[in-house]
Amino acid sequence: MYRILSYVGLLVVTVLLQVFLFDNLAISIYLNPLVYIAFIALLPLDTPPVALLGAGLSLGVIMDYAMGTAGINTIATLLIAFLRPTLVNLLYGHDNAREGGIPSAARMGNRTFVHYLLLLTLLHHTVFFLLEALSWSRLPLTVLRILLSTALSTLLIWIIARIFNTKLPSRV
Amino acid sequence: MHKLFEFIRSVYVAVLFIVLELVAVSYYARSTYYTEARLLTRSNQLIGGVHTLFAGVRHYFSLGHENRLLAERLARLEERLAQYEEASTDERLAGYLQDIGESKYRFSTACVVANTVNRAENLITLDRGRIDSIVPEMGVLSPDGAMVGYVVDCSDRYAVAMSVLNTSFRASGRIVGSDYYGSIYWDGRDQNVVTLGDVSKYADPQPGQEVVTTGFSQYFPADVLIGWVESAELNETRTAYTVRVRLAAEISRLNEVILVENRDLYEIRDLQQSDQIEQHTRPE
Repeated sequence: MYRILSYVGLLVVTVLLQVFLFDNLAISIYLNPLVYIAFIALLPLDTPPVALLGAGLSLGVIMDYAMGTAGINTIATLLIAFLRPTLVNLLYGHDNAREGGIPSAARMGNRTFVHYLLLLTLLHHTVFFLLEALSWSRLPLTVLRILLSTALSTLLIWIIARIFNTKLPSRV
Repeated sequence: MHKLFEFIRSVYVAVLFIVLELVAVSYYARSTYYTEARLLTRSNQLIGGVHTLFAGVRHYFSLGHENRLLAERLARLEERLAQYEEASTDERLAGYLQDIGESKYRFSTACVVANTVNRAENLITLDRGRIDSIVPEMGVLSPDGAMVGYVVDCSDRYAVAMSVLNTSFRASGRIVGSDYYGSIYWDGRDQNVVTLGDVSKYADPQPGQEVVTTGFSQYFPADVLIGWVESAELNETRTAYTVRVRLAAEISRLNEVILVENRDLYEIRDLQQSDQIEQHTRPE
């Protein structure tokens, strides 16, 4: 119960951060961090794939509604929700993943955790920005957007993960 | 058995994923700008208030910048206003001269740049001088045409006039409605009152009567308003009235003046001092 509540809290916080802070930052056209996927990234390692899909769908729909993007967020978020188990198995090992727990640097090792966040974010951002641009004509620019935004998002999600994990000590 | 179950489960998830993605993609594919706009409009009903709140907070951070912009704009507008005011001053000054027309008097205008009223010898400095064809002994009138003083000296660009509030000032004044006149001078006491002295004892001045200049004056045209009779008293010998005259011109609040030159002044003076007259008046 406590876990569900704290994840609801995480969902609310990431969505609010995204909608009211990062969508309004307008630092540069190349830096468009999408931090709300921290919610997907930080779901427990043993979350059933169906639950992950459900979480991805809800998050995507909420973000599409809030950002006024007709489906891009849902497509990208569903994709990372679907691929997350595979990614975790690849990076962290199938057996380790089944033990469960919140993905964190302490649990997975700093290097693995950063790789995990980076790949997840890159996947999401690639789909998102390609669909947003919807054109190959400015591909170099889009790639630049993807790479820079991924770097910034990963950093921000890493910080969110730190905060989330300090709030929730290792008992889960 | 377990592996089969696992396989079915993973396939089931994959199928679900594909179905959901297809729905999302088809929604996105069919979306138009209108869809997105409608979506945003609907979501703004919910989160618009919070956006407004944040916008309000953000607004505070830009206040300094806005303030600077406003100050710059204010400075620019002030400058333009000053230009307009200058132009309207010129226009107003020109307006004073409009109904005066051509006569033996030449009129000109000037602004007061310095003025004193609290001394015994008060002088007014004007911003026009010799290059504006201002010459000594021009009369100085207030904008509404009341007597103020006369020019005593000019530089190229400035002129200094002796104001009526100067104990050395002399002019002649006449009480309207009668032909009695006297000499105007200031006793140095009240900056709103001058004295009209040596008025005939038959004049019987009444308070409120107008006092104007006479045509004898070298500096002023006839019938320039000087002021109004405030009180009058007979002197000790009961031969003449000394009349207190409230000045029409408010010397202390003077900003602009009209200058009057008697074109014939020098001609008349030359004539008066001509040799022929001297010959005729020379005692044989």
